[in-house]
Amino acid sequence: MRNKYIEAFEAGQISAKNIPDFRAGDTIKVAVKIIEGDKQRVQNFEGICIARRGTGTGETFIVRKIGANGVGVERIFPIFSDSIEEIAVVRRGIVRRSKLFYLRDRRGKAAKIKELRK
Amino acid sequence: MEYIIEKIGMSRTIAVPSVPVTLLRVLDAKVCSVDENKRALVSYVSGKKMNKAIAGQQKKYNLSAEYNRFVTLDVANQEAGDLDTAPLGEAKTLKVSLKTKGRGFAGVIKRHNFQGGPGAHGSRFHRAPGSIGNREWPGRVQRGKKMPGHYGNTQVTVKNEIVSFDAQNGILAVKGSVPGANGSLGKARIVK
Repeated sequence: MRNKYIEAFEAGQISAKNIPDFRAGDTIKVAVKIIEGDKQRVQNFEGICIARRGTGTGETFIVRKIGANGVGVERIFPIFSDSIEEIAVVRRGIVRRSKLFYLRDRRGKAAKIKELRK
Repeated sequence: MEYIIEKIGMSRTIAVPSVPVTLLRVLDAKVCSVDENKRALVSYVSGKKMNKAIAGQQKKYNLSAEYNRFVTLDVANQEAGDLDTAPLGEAKTLKVSLKTKGRGFAGVIKRHNFQGGPGAHGSRFHRAPGSIGNREWPGRVQRGKKMPGHYGNTQVTVKNEIVSFDAQNGILAVKGSVPGANGSLGKARIVK
């Protein structure tokens, strides 16, 4: 259990955030605010969430996608960061573990995750 | 203005850029008496220590039985009563003093950041301090030579910016780290 004062301090910052429920294996779209000089724009990053780690304001998640020329690209986002405008769940996946680092060694169809249908 | 604080632990903010913060709890304290220079005898609660001297002070200043520690602090109060924490709301910078974690009798690598020798290849020189002087001249060890010895458990003061102050719970968030273990008590002084 964490210290109640630390929890209260973090809850005060987190409570206003509306984060969808997602876990490793889900395909998610992250809208990231980017500041260039004095202009601000939003860039989307879509891929498979391969891990969530940490607690409270320090919680982060890793999104992996296959970029141009089949190069794997991974980005780590702090879940509650102000630089994230929105997190959207595109597709839920069937996976049996919470960290999907094995996907880094898979190519093509082997790196596919089945969709969870209810 | 000085306050008795307890180190709670560390966290971070979600702003961009994120700021690492240390949370400090300002202990409830009673001002027993104030002199004309705003130096005051302040009482606070820590543990259950009790003896006749403490009981006598409690009787003198009408304190309840749990107030068992006394310190002299600079305060904002004009007269006896609860310690006034209002100045923390407007303060920007603090000087926080706490006891660092005690390391016991430590070698020179931990205590003075010596490099030490290679671990392998038969060097026979690993974590020892090595030579501590010259030869027949000067025939003594230079004063202040860094050697093994007791390390830590000393009062260290750091300057931190205040990120936020929650007056209701008395929780201060200061930017960066603060010496000592979580749960240890120290003093915080308002710089500006």
